[in-house]
Amino acid sequence: MTASARSVSSVPTVSSNRSTVWTLDALVQVVLIANTLVMLVPIVIMVFSAFKTNVQIFQSPFSIPDFTNLTNLTKIWTQTNFLRYLGNSFFVTGVSMLLILTLGTMAAYAIARYRFTGSGFILMFFVAGLTLPLKLAIIPLFILMRDLGILNSHAALIVVYVATGLPTTVFIMTGFIRTLPSELEDAARMDGASEALIMWKIMLPLVRPAMVIAGIQNVVPIWNDFFFPLVFIQSDGLKTLPQGLASFMGEYNTDWGVLFSGLTLSVLPIIIIYILLSKQFINGMTSGAVK
Amino acid sequence: MKHFVLGAAVLAGTALSTFGAMAQELNFWTWRAEDKAQYEQYIDTFEAANPGITVTFSSYESTNYFSALSTSLTGGTGPDVMMVRSYGGLETISNGGFLLPLDETNVPALAGFSPAAIASETSRTDGKTYAIPFASQTMLVIYNKDLFDQHGITEPQTWDELLAASEKLKAAGVMPFANGTATAWQNESTFHALTASTFGRAFYEDMIAGKADFTDPRYIEALTKYDEISTKYFPEGFVGLDYPSAQQLFISGLAGMFAGGSFELASFATQNPSLNMGIFAAPGATAEDEKLGSIYFDGGYAVNATSKHPEAALKFANYLASLEFGQAFANGLKNISPIPGVTFESELLQEVSEMNKTAIPYIMFVHFRYAEPSGSALLQAEIQKMSAGQQTPEGIGKVITEGVAAWYEPFQK
Amino acid sequence: MFTKQLTGRRLWIAALIMPPLVFVCLFIVYPIISAFAYAFFEWSGLARGDFVWFENFHKVLFVEPFASRTVNAFSHNVFVFFALMVFQNGLGFVLAYFLWRELPGFRFHRIAVFLPVVLSTIVVGFLWRLFFHPLFGPVNAGLKALGLGFLTQPWLGQDTTALWSIVFANAWHMVGFPTLVFLAGMQRIPGEVLDAVRMETQSEWVKITKIVWPLVAPSATVVFTLLFVGAFNWFELPYIMVGLEGSPHGSTDVLGLYFYRTAFGNQSGAPPDFGAGSALAVLIFLFIAIVAGTLTIRMRRREIEL
Repeated sequence: MTASARSVSSVPTVSSNRSTVWTLDALVQVVLIANTLVMLVPIVIMVFSAFKTNVQIFQSPFSIPDFTNLTNLTKIWTQTNFLRYLGNSFFVTGVSMLLILTLGTMAAYAIARYRFTGSGFILMFFVAGLTLPLKLAIIPLFILMRDLGILNSHAALIVVYVATGLPTTVFIMTGFIRTLPSELEDAARMDGASEALIMWKIMLPLVRPAMVIAGIQNVVPIWNDFFFPLVFIQSDGLKTLPQGLASFMGEYNTDWGVLFSGLTLSVLPIIIIYILLSKQFINGMTSGAVK
Repeated sequence: MKHFVLGAAVLAGTALSTFGAMAQELNFWTWRAEDKAQYEQYIDTFEAANPGITVTFSSYESTNYFSALSTSLTGGTGPDVMMVRSYGGLETISNGGFLLPLDETNVPALAGFSPAAIASETSRTDGKTYAIPFASQTMLVIYNKDLFDQHGITEPQTWDELLAASEKLKAAGVMPFANGTATAWQNESTFHALTASTFGRAFYEDMIAGKADFTDPRYIEALTKYDEISTKYFPEGFVGLDYPSAQQLFISGLAGMFAGGSFELASFATQNPSLNMGIFAAPGATAEDEKLGSIYFDGGYAVNATSKHPEAALKFANYLASLEFGQAFANGLKNISPIPGVTFESELLQEVSEMNKTAIPYIMFVHFRYAEPSGSALLQAEIQKMSAGQQTPEGIGKVITEGVAAWYEPFQK
Repeated sequence: MFTKQLTGRRLWIAALIMPPLVFVCLFIVYPIISAFAYAFFEWSGLARGDFVWFENFHKVLFVEPFASRTVNAFSHNVFVFFALMVFQNGLGFVLAYFLWRELPGFRFHRIAVFLPVVLSTIVVGFLWRLFFHPLFGPVNAGLKALGLGFLTQPWLGQDTTALWSIVFANAWHMVGFPTLVFLAGMQRIPGEVLDAVRMETQSEWVKITKIVWPLVAPSATVVFTLLFVGAFNWFELPYIMVGLEGSPHGSTDVLGLYFYRTAFGNQSGAPPDFGAGSALAVLIFLFIAIVAGTLTIRMRRREIEL
């Protein structure tokens, strides 16, 4: 947006309307503050409760706890597989992201930079995958994983995540790569550089911003996914964080302090990264929808 | 002593026949991840007595166990010995021809099991038994002895005494029952735990004989009484109270009673070792009415029909059917083993085992989970409706009877 | 002759295009096509039986009690879609419009409103399940603390409030998404356009209906389509908050739960039925594809017009 739009939209031009605008601004501010409270208070209560005992949670749910009381957190650290789940989530998400960005950029580059018969069709083919709810194909996927011998392994999750992540990535990357100027590329081609070299040395360094957006758009749903592990992963040692959290919530179901600690610990990594990179997160996650 | 000798003989027999065999590796699957430590011990015992056979324990999430198992069985990579569900849950696996039929020739100990236990692992399709039952569960009322003593309450002998006891607790500011009904299956277990004696054995027998269905006045009476006691004496907002919270209310001593399964006893005791628990079967209208628990069998151990080591697998199965194992299972896992001759260390389990002698089957679980719509799913949803004031006991009886009539022939008119 | 066609350039393009294409074909296209095929067979556990034509479809659509369960679940999906349309997308639009004024603190509000979006659905589900607890939940405790004790409810246990409570949790989780998409759309409206409208009127309403809404409409269509797909795929949140049966008595049952329960079985139901499950999956799939496809095409057309 432009700076002129800003000043115009917020500075009243007719003086008689100043008080109306002021009232409106006050109302807007009240609504926004109320909404922010509704968004943040549950998270604050969750974090507070992580440091409380059951009795404290039930009797004074809103009080500020003694933050030095780490009993619940220690319990999770020592008595559960939490670290294991966390490690699994990092591994699965990391490998999936690497593959998605590599394969997605490859396809997008081919579609965006070369004219060949069927390129439009291939793009449509990828884009069609955007709205297909793969959950509904879980039965054949399950049987496919069995036939490939990767049921109950991280590979089953990774291939599904890569397949579901590719459409958005190809879509975002193609759009971006098309906007890149072709002068550099043409010059290199004149000099006799190979196509691979052109892609690697000249074009790829330019697509990093789009990679960040495509990456963020995929990393959050993959990190948070619950459905596919629920069906594909059975061994406790292989569970990812959301799935591990679900069985952990079942196991410690009567100890609310521990439950809230588990929830807090599992959201902490992503909340911290979000706060640090909020701009990139917001741009990345809404990029598919902003027109 | 006799038990010991018998167990030793079985072991000696199995040990001898392995002599000279090559090292054989068996895979053993269960959905009981939480019992791993105990199973490792049982396996050690078995391996020590059967040199040359090793058993690998793997556990899978209970909700996905079926899919994992049937997948690997159809894929030809199934375990050699495995836990299978009972009743309707057994048939889905056994109908595929994946399991080795078991009888007295290959597992002699089966001869001693009660007919009800054998029936739980026998397919209705071909009449063959496919697994060795490992535990029975009984629906009953668990109560907090200290709270009962404190308020001068004794185990109720009639339904009115049960109501009076509840009233007394409520007046004293104690929740009479911890039960909530937000978790669907709780509606079924709580209902049976409280009212088996109200509909009674005669109703059960008539129903099975095809002489009565769920519109029978005795069953309606049970539903009516359940509705009365739940609305009056379950915690405030019980319709929104889920299973874990209900457990918690009882464990923390906030409630006097918990109507549920005998499987709660072990977990309650672990979570609050100082909890002083007692059990009773909920009474009927009069003191003379038979006090009934409702029993079912959880599941059993089955052998893969295409196991690469059939002999070793059968040996392990025989061990799992042995008194030695049953005793270790009862002591270690605090569950009621159906193996004849097993004794129970805990007084509560002794009491449950005593109650089991006269218990009637847990109706929906045992008889009405063979096809959709299952009696369980109907009963659970309709009781929730009744608790919300949208269904009458008569209406429930009708819905269940007509619902299961879709596949249950005796109810088809 | 064949090798001749595969010149270096073609080979290079193929090398770039084939691996991702294979992934999508194998793990998206093939399973979805298979799901269609599976729906026409009888299944016993995981073993495929006879070809039964439309029997599975007939069962889930016309045979009781499956038919009424399907209708019940479908009607809840429709309800969820419209409720979220108002309380998630509608509220999102209002919040975006308010944020657009860029009053002091708006950056903070913007970060706050989007924070729940990055949380996992599982965490949100468990969090609100604990919060809505009838006895110990902070929601009821908060109402009591505010002197509104008469409003306390067993939120997830009554058919009158259960589905609303889950919808609320969903809106809390996701409202930041439409908010920031709309905000981005509004921020792109050229200043000249706004100046022009300001010459004519001071009315906020005219400004919204005549300028803002038409210009953010393309984003809105995408947001609506995503919400539509999401609402008819709804699974995780109800699964965590009320369980696979859509407790109490099916009042929160949705197609996702019903499909999963049918295909994979549940604790108290009958054995899994892959045939009926696949039939349900195909029906849901077709419904989503047709509606979402129509929406997308209309959106494209409008973009061309603009």
